[in-house]
Amino acid sequence: MAECSFGLVGKGYVLIASDTSASRSIVKMKENEDKIKGLGPNLMMAYGGEPGDTIQFAEYVERNLRLYHIRHNHTLRPASAAAWIRRSLADSLRSRHPYSVNLILGGYDHTSSMPNLYWIDYLGTMVEVPFAAHGYGAYFALATLDRFHDPEATLEEGLETLKRCINEVEKRLIISLGKFMVKIIDRNGMREVEL
Amino acid sequence: MALAQPLYADQHRPIQHQFNPYAENGGTILAIAGKDFSVIAGDTRQTEGYSIQTRYAPKVFKLTDRAVLAVNGFQADCSTFVKKVKQRIEWYRHAHSKQMPLKAIARMIQGMLYGKRFFPYYTYNILGGIEEDGTGAVYSFDPVGSYEREACRAAGAASSLIQPFLDNQIYFKNQTPAPGAAPFEPGNLPMDTVLSIVIDSFTSATERHIEVGDGLEMFVVVAPGRDVAGVQSLGAEELPALTPEGERIFVLRRDLKKD
Amino acid sequence: MSIMEYNGGSVVAMKGKNCVAIASDLRLGNQAMTVATNFEKVFPVTDSLYCGLAGLATDVITLRERFRYRVNMYTIKEERQIEPATFAQLVSSTLYERRFGPYFVEPVIAGISKKTGEPFIAAADLIGCLNFAKDFVVCGTASDKLFGVAEGLWEPDMAAEDLFETISQTLMNAVDRDAFSGWGAIVHVITPEKVISRTLKARMD
Repeated sequence: MAECSFGLVGKGYVLIASDTSASRSIVKMKENEDKIKGLGPNLMMAYGGEPGDTIQFAEYVERNLRLYHIRHNHTLRPASAAAWIRRSLADSLRSRHPYSVNLILGGYDHTSSMPNLYWIDYLGTMVEVPFAAHGYGAYFALATLDRFHDPEATLEEGLETLKRCINEVEKRLIISLGKFMVKIIDRNGMREVEL
Repeated sequence: MALAQPLYADQHRPIQHQFNPYAENGGTILAIAGKDFSVIAGDTRQTEGYSIQTRYAPKVFKLTDRAVLAVNGFQADCSTFVKKVKQRIEWYRHAHSKQMPLKAIARMIQGMLYGKRFFPYYTYNILGGIEEDGTGAVYSFDPVGSYEREACRAAGAASSLIQPFLDNQIYFKNQTPAPGAAPFEPGNLPMDTVLSIVIDSFTSATERHIEVGDGLEMFVVVAPGRDVAGVQSLGAEELPALTPEGERIFVLRRDLKKD
Repeated sequence: MSIMEYNGGSVVAMKGKNCVAIASDLRLGNQAMTVATNFEKVFPVTDSLYCGLAGLATDVITLRERFRYRVNMYTIKEERQIEPATFAQLVSSTLYERRFGPYFVEPVIAGISKKTGEPFIAAADLIGCLNFAKDFVVCGTASDKLFGVAEGLWEPDMAAEDLFETISQTLMNAVDRDAFSGWGAIVHVITPEKVISRTLKARMD
């Protein structure tokens, strides 16, 4: 919960931001951890939760989506990938050792030419949303996004909204999460952006 | 962190006894205000758990010629509270040679409830009657005395079933007037409409809630000079009044569905 | 904290004269925090049969997928569309399969029989105990409120337009008194000819 990630869709793109701290109990172990994984050319995923589970699950997803790509010579669309990831978590929930991983999944669907954003939690709850947030930061970010989000916003406006969210979290959350990393996916693929 | 405990651990713990001074006796009450009348109603079933203690335990009481109080919750607290309210109203009459006004009774009830803030009466009160300006009024209270004047209120076991129905039928929530029609005005419905809403509410609650049923008592408080032919034609019993030309109170009784 | 109330949400279905209606709210929450306001809980099974699921959202999605799979298998094997009453049994057995580790979902079914033209509604608890009502069925965090309002507004043999008004008023007034439900609503009215789906302009608070 001391981790925080959020995402939003704008006109032709989806942005995802995540904090970069890796902590154990009250100790900060690392402050430049990349917690947004690219899953193929048109999909990315911010992950948080139980430390061991997060990377294990993220890599499991990454490898399986890659396998699908190799087998079928075709990448899963964001909606299909999201459904598969959700089902993996839902099945894991009722297993002996469930993953506790919360995700925000962003992608660009080249078939419909639309950006997609999915909010997924460790229970396997999934919903497609215009904006999403996980962790304690969600309480501030969602309020900010309720006020400022515009699905038709340009990239500059979208980044501005994202900055407002990060500022709000940094200002009001008693835990300092350090620097935030922001990644974007649009029709040109994924890249990191500096705020 | 939970540590594994040996099986006999329970036997070495001190035995705790606790006395619970409260019970929950089911039933539901409801009141609706009109322009120059007020209806205060309650069912008459009294329960504890799955047992019916009695099929006739009144929950609605006449306080003055213009005030009626409905009480619901823990029956022992309810009857004690009504007794004390009636006593205070009588003292008021002796001290001031007049009947206590409705809004004064409301404020007094808040004082009496808050007076027991740290060992509350487990009672939900709804006070209905006629205000000094001749308007119908309903005051609703929580167990520690926070109160409000409203157009209608349901309380008790089936309040969650009835209140949203009242929001719709009395406050016209989620309704829009037809184009060109007059805007809705809560607290302005004719008496026969109000009475049928009350009966429908209790019929619904009886159907879906096990703690509601047996009998229905509806007290109708009527402003001075208002036509009472409507309520009389329904077979209402008139209660004796202290002042002949003032407010009048009628009681309507109905059986609630028995299957 | 109750698992059934973790995400919030409510569903109601009603019978009319040669028509049925089924409706849900649109909120998805994480306890008190609202995460999304576009989470539909009613899904088409066939062109005249709908299924609503209220409860734990992950199980709502999983069960929707499982029902779709089992209905597809039925359609392929039997070479015909599933009847509402048959689907109700399918729902019941799917849930009872998990008797001692249940899906935390209460389903509501509404449809019109292709064979007889009879309207059909049913509900079940989380382990598949069916309730074939002849008036209306409810489930979810606002179920007590839905019972109260529906019992007051519903009457037998309503036509499609009246049924739409009744189910809409029932749902909206019930969820307006429930903190875990609301934030918009969707209603499907099923008649032998067509299905009319409408999103309602409801309170968003």
